[in-house]
Amino acid sequence: MYPFATTSNTKESLYKEVNLPESFESTLVDKLSAVDHRYLKDLKINIGNVLKYQNLTKKEILFIALGTAINEKNAALIAAFEELARAEGATDAEIAEVIGCVSLMNANNVFYRFRHFVKKDYYETTPAGIKMSIMMNPVLGKEFFELLSLAISALNGCELCVTAHEQSVLSHGGTQAKVYDAVRIAAIIKSFAVIL
Amino acid sequence: MANSIISVGSEFPYFKKKAVVSLEKGNEFYDITSNDHREAGKWMVLFWWPKDFTFVCPTEIAAFNNRVDDFSDRDAILIGASTDSEFVHLAWRKDHEDLRNLRFPMLADTSKSLAEELGILEAEEKVAYRATYIVDPQGIIRWVCVNDLSVGRNVDEVIRVLDALQTDELCPCNWKKGDATLAV
Repeated sequence: MYPFATTSNTKESLYKEVNLPESFESTLVDKLSAVDHRYLKDLKINIGNVLKYQNLTKKEILFIALGTAINEKNAALIAAFEELARAEGATDAEIAEVIGCVSLMNANNVFYRFRHFVKKDYYETTPAGIKMSIMMNPVLGKEFFELLSLAISALNGCELCVTAHEQSVLSHGGTQAKVYDAVRIAAIIKSFAVIL
Repeated sequence: MANSIISVGSEFPYFKKKAVVSLEKGNEFYDITSNDHREAGKWMVLFWWPKDFTFVCPTEIAAFNNRVDDFSDRDAILIGASTDSEFVHLAWRKDHEDLRNLRFPMLADTSKSLAEELGILEAEEKVAYRATYIVDPQGIIRWVCVNDLSVGRNVDEVIRVLDALQTDELCPCNWKKGDATLAV
């Protein structure tokens, strides 16, 4: 008799980790699960680890995860992380602001990336005309709003936005350790969203 | 008496010990050897406590038991150990509610030979300190942590260390100029 424990159901415990219902169906996760592929374990460990990072509060971690789920347009993950964030005391106003921030970043990431690519005077000097009043007095606080903006910009691959928001987080008192955690959370949650 | 604890970088000493693995009649015991994890290509996490039937121990053992899946996800076999005999282990498991459903073996170092060789035997009472070992699949000790008799452990920390030891930066993205070429 082999006396050592083996994990019976990685998929089940993975879903539990992120608050997805047991009945959730994903063709790609099922393909990994069917052959008990070791990547599924790695993914579960990665997700478990990012959700426990120490430089951010539990609520902040869940807001970054929620923002990532919104950015990746994954309805099931959005619902799952929203519920977890509410359990940590997230308010309607804060959740609305996460939604607004992700949407705004999707405009900015496209636009500023274009500017950065082309680098012509006309595009650099003509005002963008994009309204961004929500950046003024965020209920999430300026530092966290910037941190979320950074994470979303990293997901969407805009160099100008990433460097600008990283600088901004630091100038509002954030640390490089917080920045590092936020980007890793976004990266790992995206790696999950892409196969759901 | 000066303790000399076998530490990081050393090969974990060979052992073959009786362990309690089940409450089921006829299947209670199993001989664990230090080769079990090596042959399975797995890591070994071995944690010691001083005495069965004491107060701090079951809380700590239950905390490890709650994380059994986390260890198995990380390709590690988990073993608990003390210098009590296998029959004492079995009696304790039957007696204590938190211990009935243990999913890892309780190793009986009845002769105290392993604890002594590891250098974790307390001089007065000849019981093991709260030592925790992480041993890699090649049988090399990669981490050791020894708490005094009364100090409990944090299982999160053990898992954090295991993760850190196992996170091989295999991705070519991590190459830095001047690094040797990565052979995968």
